[in-house]
Amino acid sequence: MSAYPSLAPFVAKRPWLRSFLKPVANWYANAAGYRQLGLRADDLITEECEDTLKALKRLSPQEAYDRVYRIRRAMQCSVSHQLLPQEQWTKAEEDVPYLVPLIEQIKAEAKEKEDLDALTIVKNH
Amino acid sequence: MFSRTALSRGTQLAARGQASSKLAQRRGYAAAASAPSSFIYDTTDVAGVKVATRDSHGPTTKLAIVAKAGTRYQPAPGLTAALEEFAFKNTEKRSALRITRESELLGGQLTAYHTREALVLEASFLREDIPYFTELLAEVISQTKYTTYEFNEDVERVLQIKQARLAANVAALALDSAHSVAFHTGLGAPLYPSPSTPLKGYVDEHKVASFAESVYAKSNIALVGDGATTTALSKWTEQFFKSVPASAASVNSASTTYYGGESRTAHKGGNSLVIAFPGSSFGTFKPEVAVLSALLGGQSNVKWAPGFTLLSKIAAANPGAVASATNLAYSDAGLFTIQISGAAGAVRATSQEAVKALKAIAEGTVSKEDLTKAVAKAKFDALAGSESGINTLLAAGSGLVHTGKPFQIAETITSIEGVTADKLKAAAKALVDGKASVAAVGDLHALPYAEELGLKV
Repeated sequence: MSAYPSLAPFVAKRPWLRSFLKPVANWYANAAGYRQLGLRADDLITEECEDTLKALKRLSPQEAYDRVYRIRRAMQCSVSHQLLPQEQWTKAEEDVPYLVPLIEQIKAEAKEKEDLDALTIVKNH
Repeated sequence: MFSRTALSRGTQLAARGQASSKLAQRRGYAAAASAPSSFIYDTTDVAGVKVATRDSHGPTTKLAIVAKAGTRYQPAPGLTAALEEFAFKNTEKRSALRITRESELLGGQLTAYHTREALVLEASFLREDIPYFTELLAEVISQTKYTTYEFNEDVERVLQIKQARLAANVAALALDSAHSVAFHTGLGAPLYPSPSTPLKGYVDEHKVASFAESVYAKSNIALVGDGATTTALSKWTEQFFKSVPASAASVNSASTTYYGGESRTAHKGGNSLVIAFPGSSFGTFKPEVAVLSALLGGQSNVKWAPGFTLLSKIAAANPGAVASATNLAYSDAGLFTIQISGAAGAVRATSQEAVKALKAIAEGTVSKEDLTKAVAKAKFDALAGSESGINTLLAAGSGLVHTGKPFQIAETITSIEGVTADKLKAAAKALVDGKASVAAVGDLHALPYAEELGLKV
């Protein structure tokens, strides 16, 4: 479904591999530095794209407000060259995808439309 | 070369003229003493769903779910209209787009509309596709998702467009306010919320979903098939309507009382005046009202002439206005309306003349010839109305959900034949002496008050 090839589904299906790689993934996410600015991974998705814009409109008012708050706070940190105090860092369990499911839903809709536009009818009689 | 038929048709007709006229005389006019059996709906109860079918053996079928969910039963303004917009949207099994594309491929048409009493989901399709559309209708009423984004992106947007269109339609506004002064709540609720109706807090996807849950239940819906056999429809209904809940939560079902009164609304977009009286309902059919509305009429049946109806004669004398009389029948009440629209001055003159005409009928000045014409017209309207079209589906369906048996318009014609001049006079007198409901929308400086027209409100 996603635009680039991913090993994530392969890993997610195998519990032993998943438990082996999970600490590595957590280390990588922490090292990426966005959690120290109070952001979530989905806040980093580029906004200049039709699907994302549509998905942003479909967020609930609370989610949309929280997203704007996180981004503004991170901007402020970036401008003042500081990190947030450690108790305000995003925890691993808070870093859940909230936008990706919506984008996937929108992509699925577009794909269904494309498929229906390109369908050929076979009469079975 | 001319074709043989085209060339010889005239001569054939001329040659046969004498013979055929004799034939016609011998046979007499076709007399519809009672409704033909193909007009009558058969009712069955299939696994708790009330099903009415009528088969005219045509190539197409109309299948409709008639739910007791019209504006009369809505717990808050705008819910019926929003539920109507949610018809054929995403369900648990397939998307709105897929529903549209699939029914297009089968050559079917899907429509949803509501009246004051019923919400109708209708599918018209080729006869052999009945399993597909029965399944679809069952799926739409039981498995629609009522998502937030569809409400924001589609439903609310369309609602606002339709509200804006209504705001410019003075005739609809006048009819709505006549209903509201006549019945207050219930049937008095406007058919469509006007743009100034506050909907915030009343209409959102959760409220619509819970309204749908309370009205889309087996006890609250009827499945009406026009052009389908009972066996076929029963078979598929049994299979596909299993997931529909059995009984509904209580819907607002207070019985209707007629109040009467007057309402005046200023509007720049035109002028419309509605004069309404308690009319004939489906439950208690009053043949005199049917004849009275045929006699007052409004629409001409002949070309280039006003015809025999009183209102069209009056309207012809006052150019710039259009007048018509209708009986709007509901399950337990009816509203007999005279609606006049057009230029303010003409509406004023026409309404005064129309009330005079009604009072003249109440004094018994109708000629015998006019009465005969009116009875014939009323009979024709009843039969033509039950031949095809949405009226039959709607009448059969609302009858089933309200009383357990379909309202057969065609069955009323024998009682229409029994209307005499005395009965008509008495009925008109009762209307004129009773309380009227008068609604004026438009240029209030020119439009008359009920008092000026000589009506009691």
